[in-house]
Amino acid sequence: MTKPPAPPLHFPPHGLPERIENLRVKTTGDQVYAYPPLIVGIGASAGGLEAFRSFFAHMPANDDFAFVLVQHLSPEHVSALAEIVSRSTSMEVVEATDGRRVLAKHVYVIPPDATLTIVNGELQVTTPAPPRPQRWPINTFFTSLAEDQGDCAVCIVLSGSGSDGARGLRAVKEHGGLTLAQAGFDHVALSGMPANATSTGLVDVVLRVEDMPARLLAYRKQMDTARKLHDGNGLGQDMGDQLQTVLRLLHAEVGHDFSQYKRSTLMRRIQRRMLVCQTETVVDYVAHLRQDRQEHQHLFREMLIGVTEFFRNPGAFATLTEKAIPAMLAGKGANDTVRVWVPGCATGEEAYSIAMLLREAIGPHGGPKVQIFATDIDSRSIEAARSGRYRAPLQGISPERQQRWFNKEGADFCVIRPIREMCIFSVHSIIKDPPFSRLDLVSCRNLLIYLNADLQSRLFHTFHYALRPGAFLLLGPSESLARSSEQFTVVDKKHRLYTRRQMSRAERGTSFPVPGPAAAYATTPALTNRGDTDERIDRGARRLMEKYTPAYVVINANQDVERFSGDTGRYLSPSSGSASLHVFSLLNKRLREPARALVRQAFDGAKAAVQEGLTVDIHGRAQMLRLISEPLTDGDGKVQWCVLAFDEAWGSHTAMHAQPDPESIRHEGDSSNRLEQELEALRSELRTTTELHESVVEELQSTNEEYQSVNEELQSTNEELETSREEMQSINEELHIVNAEAQSKNDALTRLNSDLRNLMESTQIATLFLDRDMRIGSYTPAMTDLFHLREGDIGRPITDISARVNYPELKEDVAQVLRHLGVTERMLYGRGDERTYLLRVRPYRTLDDVIDGTVLTFVDVSESLRHELERGQLAAIVDSSLDAVIGYTLEGTITSWNKSAERIFGYSAQQAMGQPLSMLLAADATEEAKIIFEFRTPGIRPDKFEATWKTRSDQAIPVSVSNSPVCNSMGKTIAGSLIARDISERRNAERHAHMMLGELNHRVKNTLASVQAIALQTLTASPSLDDFKTGFIARLKALSQTHNLLAQDAWEGVSLAALVRGELAPYEDEQGTSRVRLYGEDLKLSPRIALALSMAFHELTTNAMKYGALSNSKGTVDVSWAVRWVDQRSWLNLSWLESGGPAVITPTTHGFGTRLITGGLAYELDGEATLEFLPAGVRCTLVLPLSESGSVT
Amino acid sequence: MSPSGDPPSILVAEDEMLVAMLLETTLEDAGCHVLMAARVAKGFELIESQQIDAAILDINLAGQPSFELADALQERNIPFAFASGYGAGGLPDAYRHVPILQKPYDMADIRATVDTLLKRNH
Repeated sequence: MTKPPAPPLHFPPHGLPERIENLRVKTTGDQVYAYPPLIVGIGASAGGLEAFRSFFAHMPANDDFAFVLVQHLSPEHVSALAEIVSRSTSMEVVEATDGRRVLAKHVYVIPPDATLTIVNGELQVTTPAPPRPQRWPINTFFTSLAEDQGDCAVCIVLSGSGSDGARGLRAVKEHGGLTLAQAGFDHVALSGMPANATSTGLVDVVLRVEDMPARLLAYRKQMDTARKLHDGNGLGQDMGDQLQTVLRLLHAEVGHDFSQYKRSTLMRRIQRRMLVCQTETVVDYVAHLRQDRQEHQHLFREMLIGVTEFFRNPGAFATLTEKAIPAMLAGKGANDTVRVWVPGCATGEEAYSIAMLLREAIGPHGGPKVQIFATDIDSRSIEAARSGRYRAPLQGISPERQQRWFNKEGADFCVIRPIREMCIFSVHSIIKDPPFSRLDLVSCRNLLIYLNADLQSRLFHTFHYALRPGAFLLLGPSESLARSSEQFTVVDKKHRLYTRRQMSRAERGTSFPVPGPAAAYATTPALTNRGDTDERIDRGARRLMEKYTPAYVVINANQDVERFSGDTGRYLSPSSGSASLHVFSLLNKRLREPARALVRQAFDGAKAAVQEGLTVDIHGRAQMLRLISEPLTDGDGKVQWCVLAFDEAWGSHTAMHAQPDPESIRHEGDSSNRLEQELEALRSELRTTTELHESVVEELQSTNEEYQSVNEELQSTNEELETSREEMQSINEELHIVNAEAQSKNDALTRLNSDLRNLMESTQIATLFLDRDMRIGSYTPAMTDLFHLREGDIGRPITDISARVNYPELKEDVAQVLRHLGVTERMLYGRGDERTYLLRVRPYRTLDDVIDGTVLTFVDVSESLRHELERGQLAAIVDSSLDAVIGYTLEGTITSWNKSAERIFGYSAQQAMGQPLSMLLAADATEEAKIIFEFRTPGIRPDKFEATWKTRSDQAIPVSVSNSPVCNSMGKTIAGSLIARDISERRNAERHAHMMLGELNHRVKNTLASVQAIALQTLTASPSLDDFKTGFIARLKALSQTHNLLAQDAWEGVSLAALVRGELAPYEDEQGTSRVRLYGEDLKLSPRIALALSMAFHELTTNAMKYGALSNSKGTVDVSWAVRWVDQRSWLNLSWLESGGPAVITPTTHGFGTRLITGGLAYELDGEATLEFLPAGVRCTLVLPLSESGSVT
Repeated sequence: MSPSGDPPSILVAEDEMLVAMLLETTLEDAGCHVLMAARVAKGFELIESQQIDAAILDINLAGQPSFELADALQERNIPFAFASGYGAGGLPDAYRHVPILQKPYDMADIRATVDTLLKRNH
């Protein structure tokens, strides 16, 4: 049962005046209105993603709204919510951060493991989130949103299980915001949360998610319109006139008069309903109210929404502490229990307040156990109360108590566990359900004011029953014990504290409360108020008719008298002992037995019964009487009461008209004696039966009490179960989400796994995974080439598998890798034609960096080795080549440069690489030459050509180039390579040969010219043809001999001694004596000098043979020479001296020889020559320069 | 040969003694006064000091080309002919018009060439 608010209500400040930031300006005519955006909080749990998507797919980006999404997220997982939602909306979606201002057209998403609240339009993020049982992120945010934004707050509860959000809605409603929930028929994955929200009755509209955006837009539009119409306070000007009408209608329909409530409160609440109903004016709303009976209930609920607070009416609590609690605790030990009942506890503030008082009174340790039963018919309130979680600031709590009895968790305060454990919350109707019993205190405040007098009276009976004697009852300030003062004694009148009176056992028996009709509470107020006039008429008529009707009593099933009517005193006489309303204790003894039979008939048979002919002694006179019993049923047709009427009129009538004759009286006397004896026997029998019955009733009573306590235990068990169910539910939800995430992770892993499998299957690299014990984990198919592996070998040690490769060191290598955690490499050379592998052993690191074995990869490097060898051979060839070998790209960039290239062109490999090939072009290169270096068209043509390129030092160098394309295996040209041969030497040789040829020609012709001259000269000097022949041949021979000598030394020069000896050879060694003597250091003569001198020596020798020293057998020739330096030239002084020959006769004419020596020789050699015909022999003296003037030999 | 009675002076620049002797003999037989030069320097000496009517220049004089002598002769308007074993191909373009006596000599050719040179001079 929710307590309605006591006026004045706490209301939030109206949104408009303070909130000036984050405003939007609307211009209508001359007026400027600035309204803040509506902040829409959306709560969801499992299944929320789909709902979010659906919502934003229909929600346009609009300046009037900002959104905050609160989703139950697992604290251990990173959330992708923002990213997912942003795919559905053009609005900016961001994860909420602390201090972030909420702006229109933005969507904020709660981060994982955090509590999200909002203060002054800024988001506050507190981490970590509270532990699970206290984790209510949606409630927390809705509550703070309501407090911060007032009527600008909108809250939506979407898919999810559990009940988070329901309590938050209450706060939103309190502050005048709008609440929406997802409709059950919608595509809600889990409808628990919206259903729970709806069941609070606090949801304004239940809608499909797709329809929510339209509703929001309409709501906003109407809100703006309403603001334009209304004054600055947001209150309708026309409200004043219509307020009374509304209240009258409400009073008439639900029977509660709100006219004493604060006016502004009422106006605001009515206006809220108008917004929800989408009615623009109060007049429209009144019309709506008249038409729609449901609206009365809605308005009533709107009015009832209230707040309770801790230690409300502190005076009452002070009184309780002072006057009640000491008595309650007096005489109670650790094994006793103090039992308190707080009916209508709402969200638990009062129950906790009492718990705190008791705990303060008992002290922290020891003392009796305290059980506070806090009940309410509103299950949402009970859930809230159970959580023990309250928004700061706490109303009514002193700082000391706040410090002592609460833990701060985020923005909330939680009641500490010892206090929480003192309270047992359960859903319970004080009207319908059996009460608790043996209580020490009942605190029932501000509940009775809503109940009419009958119900109040019944509740006092209930409380009386439930309380121990001397126990306390605390009521609200405007409630009092009017008609039950005999059951309770006033302890403190001002603060409405009472104590239960001690009453008789019989009374206690009768005071057991009877469950009333189920509908009594809901319908009674209306009936009572409406039926005032009828009742007055009824009462009057009944009073008038009393004297004509027989006296009667109305008894209940317990046979207690409930009503007396007429002069029943004639038939009733209280018996001695304790006072009792029990009918059979009161009834005239003569009437007891017949009455008992009739009453049983009425209750059991549900039919009227009549016993006639009874006689009763009244005031000493026998009176005939007819006893009538008639069952009285309740609305359900069940017999609840019985009317027992005493009809004397019938009796007197009979007595008057049937006077008994004396005969019959005598007979009567006999039979009456007999009858009286029988009667006496029956009476004693009946007494025994009655006593037996009463003891059975007592037994039942105690059994009932036992059941009560069992019921209590069950109730507290139930509560515990309820709490754990909630916990399970929230865990379940998180598991749901975690499961979904795990599912998607699993999908990714499956994909990855399949990728890995494909990689393993397709890789050519033989790979083997071993665990720490060298057992085979997995391997690629290529491994089977290396080891005799089969599918079933997984898990076996690799050392058990025979290898196809020669690798005895396997074990040591693996052990070493595991020891040093480094990488080991090894070449496995195959024997003969076997393949060669490069083996790498690495440690196997798991993702969390734990070494869990080894990975062996065997890369087949046979091909690569072969290529390497080939490459090495080619490289050696290239390197050793005398030709420049240059590689280049298709673009003409140099990529390789061998040593010869360096030698020929002068660039080092480092300088040349990366340069354009065209750097080798001479500046004055012809167009044709340049074409080779242009790579506009792809492809390189094989070509051979000669060109002149330049070196680094800009010297031209003739080259012979052989250019060829480099092709890949597909035959496509990918680069070029050229070989350039330095042909400058060949060119020189060619030029030299050419020159030599010309020179030869020249010399031959010159020689021929000399021969011609010799021939002509010899001819001139010869007397006969024979003489000519002899002389000519001898001269040619001398010439030829000199040529022979020159050819011997490749025309470098001729030894002077050799030249002389060549001419004089026949005489030099004749018979062992030398007739020719040479003096002088031998020297080399140039060809020119040699040729000229040889001719001169020939002529001298010929003359000596014919006429001189050699013409006889003893003459000698001395040839001596010396070299001297004069005028920086070397001169040869040579003398030819004959002796021992016949006497010399000076010739008369100058022959050819003389002319040749004196004229020709001196002429040609630019020297001097004298020839003297001395009597002792011819003497020839020559002085010749050995080198040309101006040059040094 | 010469109408004036003075024998014409012929410069023979030839370093080969036998050839020079042959030319000297041949030209003297033809009634010429022969001036002999075996070196370029001797040639210049003669050109500057003697009256020369015509000249026969061997292209190579003891390793030195005789073109400087040719230029000096041309300056003085003295007709000349080259004597060479190389033939016409060995001559620079500037001397293309100069007659060439091929070695070995045709004596008649020598006389005819000298005649032509002397005629040109007058």
